[in-house]
Order: sequence, then structure tokens, then C-alpha cells
Amino acid sequence: MVATSTLIGVTVDGLAYGVVLALLGVSITLVFGLGEVLNLAIGIFAVLTVLAARTAINSGLGLALGLVTALLFIGLVGLVVDRTLLEIVYQSTGEDRILLGIFITLGLDVLLEGTLTNFFPSQYDLPIDISSIQIGEIILTGSSIAIILIGGFILAILLIFLRRTFLGKATRTIFQDERGAQLVGVNIRRIRSLIFVLSTVVAGSAGLIWASGTTVSVGTGFEFTSFALIVSIVGGVRSIGGAVVAGLLLGTVNQFANFFVGSYVATIILFVTAIVALLAKPEVLA
Amino acid sequence: MSMLDNDHKGIWIAFVVLALAPIPVLGSSYYEGILARILLISVLAVALNIVFGQTDQLFLFSGGLAGFGAYGTALLADWLSLSAWITLPLAAILAGGIGLLVSWISAKRNFTVVLIAILTLSLQFVLTEIYVGARDITGGSTGFSYDVLSLESITAVTGLGNKVVVYYLVLILLLVSLLLYVRLINSKYGVAFAALREDELAAESIGIDVDRYKMVAGFLSAFLIGFTGPLIVKEAGYILPSAFSFFAIDVVILIVLIVGGLRTTLGPVFGAVIVVAIEQVLASYASNWRTALFGALLILLFIYFQNGVVVWFRQGLADLDIIDR
Repeated sequence: MVATSTLIGVTVDGLAYGVVLALLGVSITLVFGLGEVLNLAIGIFAVLTVLAARTAINSGLGLALGLVTALLFIGLVGLVVDRTLLEIVYQSTGEDRILLGIFITLGLDVLLEGTLTNFFPSQYDLPIDISSIQIGEIILTGSSIAIILIGGFILAILLIFLRRTFLGKATRTIFQDERGAQLVGVNIRRIRSLIFVLSTVVAGSAGLIWASGTTVSVGTGFEFTSFALIVSIVGGVRSIGGAVVAGLLLGTVNQFANFFVGSYVATIILFVTAIVALLAKPEVLA
Repeated sequence: MSMLDNDHKGIWIAFVVLALAPIPVLGSSYYEGILARILLISVLAVALNIVFGQTDQLFLFSGGLAGFGAYGTALLADWLSLSAWITLPLAAILAGGIGLLVSWISAKRNFTVVLIAILTLSLQFVLTEIYVGARDITGGSTGFSYDVLSLESITAVTGLGNKVVVYYLVLILLLVSLLLYVRLINSKYGVAFAALREDELAAESIGIDVDRYKMVAGFLSAFLIGFTGPLIVKEAGYILPSAFSFFAIDVVILIVLIVGGLRTTLGPVFGAVIVVAIEQVLASYASNWRTALFGALLILLFIYFQNGVVVWFRQGLADLDIIDR
């Protein structure tokens, strides 16, 4: 039998991973809900943020300033992508737009991945040292606690933004009824831009908190994307709350599966969960 | 439809050119490998042209299916103590079955293209994960030497090298798949495909069994891909999971298909020649930038060049009054 203290440790690590997945899943969900663009580049955005932060910190900018610079940078990247590539995608409609969205963000992912590998060929993390915390018998990974706290805080702010502010309400209106939103005077294109930039910053922060505890490589990018897709699907692609719950759940399941049956079976379990969720309730995506 | 209309003429010309292509480079396994890659990618792109081009079902697990065929052929031969030449079509039929199942589920549940894409992408990850993880039977990420599908009887008689023999086998496969493609789109299937692409509901209302046509397309494509997989690794001589990754197969054949031209008969072949040529140019002095360039290509193609070179070339000829419009 595994000691309870170990199980608690695994749960905490799982929740930490879950928070990261939730942030990534929400990023996909926001953009897809608003404009039917499935952003397959979301994972590489997260990795790019980590690499930017490291470069900034290494050039002597200091930790806090480095992290802020990286987030500003990824927001700027998001803005440029929105103004150029997505501008073209939004000009088409219906199925054409969905296809174009898939291919252009996939192309962007491949382009960024192929470019970044040349400059960042190995594993990178952030120079943050959080010692583990011991409560009685239980030893908790310090970075996991930090991820849960900071990631949870970001998620909470995001949810409050969507529920309470005018912009958030306008966003949710478009989610529910694009035409209706247009009729009551919501500027859909501007909100799409704003939310896209927001989603890149959210994904970027997910990357940053994750890299406080582990290393990431350029290859992690598509892994992030695929997990974010799963979270988004299991949560029901148009539901922000669903993505949060799905992220936490899948993160924990993944960590337990990792602990008990090994990482390869764990990954298969994640994807099979996604497939089952797809088959069980595709109507939420239609 | 005669065997000598424009489509068929094109296929036979391509066949003759490709049949002669290895002769100047005979004996150089480097050039033979490049030529074989063109053919292998062409067949995969023809398969994608059927399921995605004709029926709008975006299959993003070609890599997984090709791997299924390759591992399946070797493993079934081992388990059933049969010749791999018998288990190859078996594995391909099983791969076809997976394609059929995906199409059936997608049709029954009214999946949109984005859902089919996500479903098949998830399957791709599951399959790759199995190829890497099930070390006991797949050899994991170190793979194993692909000795099955022995060609000794042919190489001994003809005196040709292994790679050349594989090349001509794949050429026959390509010829068959191109002829099949033309036959398909010139039959009632082609009409049904066009109708269901245009408007599924309308197609259904005039009595076209949309689900069945999608399933046929799904089966045929997955079967062809499953059939090609073993030949990919036979050509390489070694089986590795990385040969069947999403980026190694799916991204490449998507580019090939779009460069060549979606729904054109010879588009996959032209596309494959162009893409492999680009790879070779890059390989000599910028091999590190291959992936990045492919990404940029994917974006640019989809924005500016959705009809592909075949259509573009034909239009150019028509503008010069060389051929009829």
C-alpha cells in the first residue's frame, strides 16, 4: 500500500499540472468560442514565453521584470498574429474558416517550432528555487504549491473578468449568439483581437508557472497544444468553467496514472478520455 | 470514359517518367532513396485526396495508420507464423477498418470537420504513444530492423538492389491508386462526393446515402495508407516510431496535397516532387530550417495558393492558348 502522505503529494502535483492544463484549455476555448479558430499554436506560445523570460532574465533584467517582459512580448506576438494571419482567417466563413484556422495555426506552430529549435536546442527552466514544504509526514513540492496558488489566482481573475466586466459580458454574448451580439452593438472583431491577445498571455503565464518547477523544450510546445485540446474537448469546447474543471481533473488523473502505471499509459489514458468525451457529447462542439 | 482520356494519359505519362527515373542513378542508394520518398509520399497524398479532398473528412492520423500497417505487418507475421506478404494486406485491411470506423462514427454523430480533425489527431497521439511505449513488441524508440517482406527472390533473379525493387513495388502501388482514384471520381461515387461536399443535406434529400460514401472514402484512404506504411520502413530498412509522427507524415502530405492541388488527379505526384525537391535543396545548406520553412509554406499555401500547381499550370497554358480551357 502507498502511504497516504505520498498520495497527498501526488494529488498536489496533479492539481498543479491541472491548473496549467486548465489555463491552456481556457486559452483554446476562449478563441474557439469567439471566432471558431482552433489555435493549434497555443502550446508553442507558452514555450516561447518561457524562452523569452529566460533570455530576458539572463540578460540581467531580474526575475520579476523578466517575467513581465516575457508576458508583454507574447501579448505583442499575439497582437501581430491576430492582425495579420487571423485577419485573413476571419474573412472566410463557416467550414472554410474553421479549416483555414486549423491549417494556419498549425503552420504557425511548425514555423515557430522549426525556428526556435535552431536557437534553443535543449531543455530550459526558470531560475526560481522553491524549496519543498514539509507538514508532518507529508512533503509537498514547493513549485506545485506555487503553481496552484498563482495559477488559481489567474484563473479566478479571468473568471471574474468574464462575469463582471462589460468586456467579459460582451465576450460571453458572442459565445452565445454572434449575430445577436452584433445587433446590440458589440464590435466583434475588436473583442476577438482582445481575447486572442488575452489568450496568448494566459497561455504564456501557464508556461511560466510550469517552468518554475520543470524544464521545457521546444518540443513541449505541441505536447501542450495536444493536452490543451483534450482539456478543451472534455470541458466542452465552449465552456470556460468546463475547461477549468476538466483541466484540474485530467491533471490529477494524469499524475496518478503516471505514479501507478507509468507515463506512457498515463498519456494514452488522457487521449482515450478525450476520444470518449468526443464520442459521448459532440453536440457541445457542433 | 476511355483508358486514353486526359486523366489517364497524364497517369501513364507520369508512370513512364517515374519508371525510367531510377535508371540514370542506379546503384546510388542515396538517389534511389530520394526517388522512393517521392513515390511513397505521393501514395499517401492520393489517399488523403480521397478522404479529405473528396469528402471533406480531415484525417490527421495518416502517420498513425501508416505505422499501424508497418508494425501490424511485422507483428502479425510473427504471431501467426505467416509470410509478411500475406500479413501486409491483412494489416492494411485492419487499418482500413479503423478509417471506416472513424468515418462511421463521425457520420452517425454528425461530426463537423473540426471534430474529425480533433478525433483523428487524438488517435494519432494514442497510436504514436503505443509505438513508443509498448517496447516489448515494438522495440520502443530504438525500433527494430525491418527484415520481413523479403525481396530476395526478386533481387536474386533481376540482380537489382533492394531499394530499387521497393521503388518499383511502390510505383505499381501508386499506379493502382491513381487509376483507382480516377475510376472512383468518374463513377457514381464522384457524383456523390461532389454532391455531399456541396450540401450534405441536399445530397441526402435526393437519395444519396451520404454516410455510406463517407465510409467508403474513409476505408479506401486508410487502407492505402496502411498498405504504404510497411513499404516506407522496408525502404528505410529499419522501423522507428518517429517515422510515423504527426510532423513526419501528416504535415508533409498536407503540404504535398495543397502544393499539388486538392482534388486533382496528379496533384499528389507533382506536390511530392516539389516538396522532396525543396527538402533536398535545403538539405545541402540549410537542413536546420526545413521544419520552419515547411511551417511558412503551410501558411502561405493556405492563404494564397489553395488550388495548387496543377490548376495554376493549366491556367497558365490556357492563358497562352496552348490548351483548351
